[in-house]
Amino acid sequence: MKIILEKEAFDIETYIKNGGYMALKKAIAMNPDNIIEEVKKSNLRGRGGAGFPTGLKWSFIPKNVKDKYLVCNSDESEPGTFKDREIINKNPHMLIEGMIIAGYAIGANQGYIYIRGEFIKEARILEKAIIEANKKNLLGDKILNSNFNFKIRLVRGAGAYICGEETALLESILGKRGHPRLKPPFPAIKGLYDKPTVINNVETLATIPYIVINGGEKYSKIGVGKSAGTKLFSVSGPVKKPGVYEIELGMPFKDFFENYLGNMKEGENLKAVIVGGSSVPVLTADEAMSVNLDYESLQKAGTMLGSGGMIIIPERQCMVEALYILARFYHHESCGQCAPCREGTGWIEKQLKKILAGNAKSKDIDDAYEIANNMMGKTICPLADALAMPVMSFITKFRNEFESHIEGKCKLCQR
Amino acid sequence: MLGDRFKKEYKNIIAKFEDKNSALLSLLHEIQKENGYIKEEDVNELSELIDLPYSKIKSALSFYTMYNLKKVGKYHIQVCRNLSCHIAGSNSLMEFIFDKLKLKENEITEDGMFSLSTVECLGSCGTAPVIMINDTYHENMDLEKLERLIDELRKK
Amino acid sequence: MPKIIIDEIEIEAKEGETVLQAAERYGIYIPRYCYHPALSIAGNCRMCLVEIEKMPKLQTACSTLAQEGMKINTKSEKVKKARQDALEFLLLNHPLDCPICDQAGECYLQDYYMDYGLYKSRVKLEDKNRKEKRLDFGQYLILDRERCILCTRCVRFCEEITKTGELFVSNRGDHSFIDIKPGDKINNNYSLNIADICPVGAFTSKDFRFKQRAWFLKEKKSICLGCATGCKIKAHYNENKIYRIMPDPNIETNTWLCDYGRMLYKISDSRERLRYCVVDSNKMDIRSGLLKIFDRLNSQLTSDKDKILVFLSSNLSIEDNLALFYFARTVIETENIVIDDLKEQKIEDGILLNTDKTPNSKFIYQLKNKYKLKTISEIKKEDFNFIIGYDSEIKKYFPKNDGINFSFLESDTRASLFPIKTYFEQKGSFINYQGYLRETEKIIDNDFSIELWSAINKLANYFSKYMPFNQIDDFEKIISKEGYKNK
Repeated sequence: MKIILEKEAFDIETYIKNGGYMALKKAIAMNPDNIIEEVKKSNLRGRGGAGFPTGLKWSFIPKNVKDKYLVCNSDESEPGTFKDREIINKNPHMLIEGMIIAGYAIGANQGYIYIRGEFIKEARILEKAIIEANKKNLLGDKILNSNFNFKIRLVRGAGAYICGEETALLESILGKRGHPRLKPPFPAIKGLYDKPTVINNVETLATIPYIVINGGEKYSKIGVGKSAGTKLFSVSGPVKKPGVYEIELGMPFKDFFENYLGNMKEGENLKAVIVGGSSVPVLTADEAMSVNLDYESLQKAGTMLGSGGMIIIPERQCMVEALYILARFYHHESCGQCAPCREGTGWIEKQLKKILAGNAKSKDIDDAYEIANNMMGKTICPLADALAMPVMSFITKFRNEFESHIEGKCKLCQR
Repeated sequence: MLGDRFKKEYKNIIAKFEDKNSALLSLLHEIQKENGYIKEEDVNELSELIDLPYSKIKSALSFYTMYNLKKVGKYHIQVCRNLSCHIAGSNSLMEFIFDKLKLKENEITEDGMFSLSTVECLGSCGTAPVIMINDTYHENMDLEKLERLIDELRKK
Repeated sequence: MPKIIIDEIEIEAKEGETVLQAAERYGIYIPRYCYHPALSIAGNCRMCLVEIEKMPKLQTACSTLAQEGMKINTKSEKVKKARQDALEFLLLNHPLDCPICDQAGECYLQDYYMDYGLYKSRVKLEDKNRKEKRLDFGQYLILDRERCILCTRCVRFCEEITKTGELFVSNRGDHSFIDIKPGDKINNNYSLNIADICPVGAFTSKDFRFKQRAWFLKEKKSICLGCATGCKIKAHYNENKIYRIMPDPNIETNTWLCDYGRMLYKISDSRERLRYCVVDSNKMDIRSGLLKIFDRLNSQLTSDKDKILVFLSSNLSIEDNLALFYFARTVIETENIVIDDLKEQKIEDGILLNTDKTPNSKFIYQLKNKYKLKTISEIKKEDFNFIIGYDSEIKKYFPKNDGINFSFLESDTRASLFPIKTYFEQKGSFINYQGYLRETEKIIDNDFSIELWSAINKLANYFSKYMPFNQIDDFEKIISKEGYKNK
């Protein structure tokens, strides 16, 4: 089943015809605390990558504070992830509706959408959607004749993956460098302009209307166990049918791969799978074929659901080169604030470049693994972990390819 | 020199935000629209215009990669160099651009028409390889498409 | 007052204190680079990571508030490894500059490596990032971007203390560096504090550059005499030469020092230092000079005593002023004792610099009130032509003085002139604008100058008169007896 991508709607009229904004109508008449309860019951977890329980996050917002903010994280920069873009292109009003309901539930009157700077077309789509909603009194003052006011401001980023981290995002809205903040205090207490703030991913917010209409319990029964609901997986790599898929959580990867993705393209063989965006540990083909696509199963297999950005790695792709490309990415995106990440990402990229070029020894592979391990858990934000996990998993599971490069015998690279 | 259009527009831009600090990233985007890049003197002028210290503007400006600090071509080609696009063949796009336009990374053609840079994941991996030319995404690129695209742009 | 346990020691933390601050008060030192007690918390060096019970990840002690019941371990294997790792990352791209770096001997990287590191480096020299070195950042500062560990103490100092905000971090990741607007320099009169607080050799003092290795320096505490604020200082010297002045941080008066005050030590071996007496346009050494000067005073005393004026100075110590004062009363036997016009005393730049640029006005005003002394504006200057006093002060009002001047620096005065010791060369008491009585310490010396009170003592002997002091320590009794305020 599909929830977010079931029906496309490029303008508000179509969205309303599809049943849109009924959830808002219902929500406005509810007690905000009850809405939070429903979201808690739904077991919905943040869909940006961190997977924090959404209802719980909303419940941290203090009640008797005047100024609060709801921020939509549309920074989508995790390599392999392109699902939020799909939502904005195909069904933008589901996001808008979800935001207004979320704002109502936590008592915020001002919403922000922080969209990555490169999504210029998508920013225009959202601007248009906001104007449409305004015209129909779904945004602005006294929404649907209630006492609730809610405005949405669109803010564009300017090219920084780190601004997808909640507190770095807030810093960016303030016009500053995207440096993640020390936590505590958490955004729920001291967020945007030092006021209580909830930051949610696009997909998370787009799920809210369904939960309000159908109730949290119904949502919790979709999926499997504690992994409730549907998830958008964005699949790239040489499969027959790459793209964005919305599926119930819990589907075995094997089924997904064969029945939805259509297997590999002609002449390609599966070697490895990154299931949830480049920051999660990689799985070998065999490992992937034995997992289910849900939070628990993937955690048990030593990786994470993350953003659902799935990268299919073919046999012909050298894993050393692949890791080098990822290390180069994290090095490029490190904000530079704290020493382990700032120095560690750059050094690991350099090491991998040497290994790739055949100018290294076996010890250098171990050093790269150790430095990555030493970075973990020591930094202000998880970007260091996001490099460390691929490094450690690639080296562990594909050591032979690294050793081939030491010996100058990588057939895939001719080096 | 900040253009006249910017000088007319900037107050409207600031009005859309909480304060001039929060408007900074948008103001810089607006300045870049004029010439495709932001000059050092633009930073000084902006600093005086909105009464924001140079240090605050420059520290933010130098952090974000979408702001070009050097001149770019009329058509600024940005090729994604991340994993999915690499697997899909972004290297051959780069090689093609070098063959056809004699353009290497971070360079600009003599006639100022094209410049080239590599960028990180553009968030459209399913249609890899992806490139961005100025404000537009070009997805599912192959050498044929690229050649046609470059020829079209040349004619403009 | 939350009770916490650090390394099995029970500690009572203050309200709002962090783990690092509480630990420090009880003598448990937690290593750190970016934390500084006078600046906001940055938490970016990751050196202060400690283990806290019930928290899975290590926490930075500098940013974690001490909460009731917290159990902290700073000595576990995990913490030891974390410190080693933090050091490794900081040193990954750090240049091998120790042999040419002024910070050597007082460098946090060196010190912590010896205390917490002692691991074998895995980085090849050619792999290290290169950045610009030896950048001119102001009258007193040089920046070496390669050595910088981006702790941002300097940036926070300029934002929070001087509120001038010149410095900022530019670029991203390991290409980041400290920058300033092109063409600008850090000239905010507090720039050398940045060299102090920079934990490594990134920001260094131009004045101190390459002059002396830190481990040869000895330290004596003293006070700055540049203005009425009277900051407490530490003088670093070796073999009769002062190499630099640092602040001696205290709650009452100063955490920092201003650049102007820091440079005052140069007076002692300045090219313009007065190293001889001048009498009737003849230069002579101190011994012969003083004898001639005594003769001149004798002549004046016998011929025209009423034209003698004694000018006390707030530029001089309590001891020197008291000596002059007693001399005027008991040897010259005159009431013609005057002081400069009253000056307002308050901090004029919001940090340390005082409107009153002399260090001892508070004492002079006490003396004035006790003995009803007049100010220079309250007398008729034409009545006097033989002034005895501090050269720079007298010259303002009596450019054609025929009397006796004493000075630190050379002067083109007509008067007889003799060289006095600076307060780097002798003990001297001063009362600052807050009322604190503090002393300078003798740090260096020379044989061409004399303490003013000692010269006065000799002068009194010449006239066979008694002065209630023979050595500097004799003044202590006088000061306490007469009740000159010490807060």
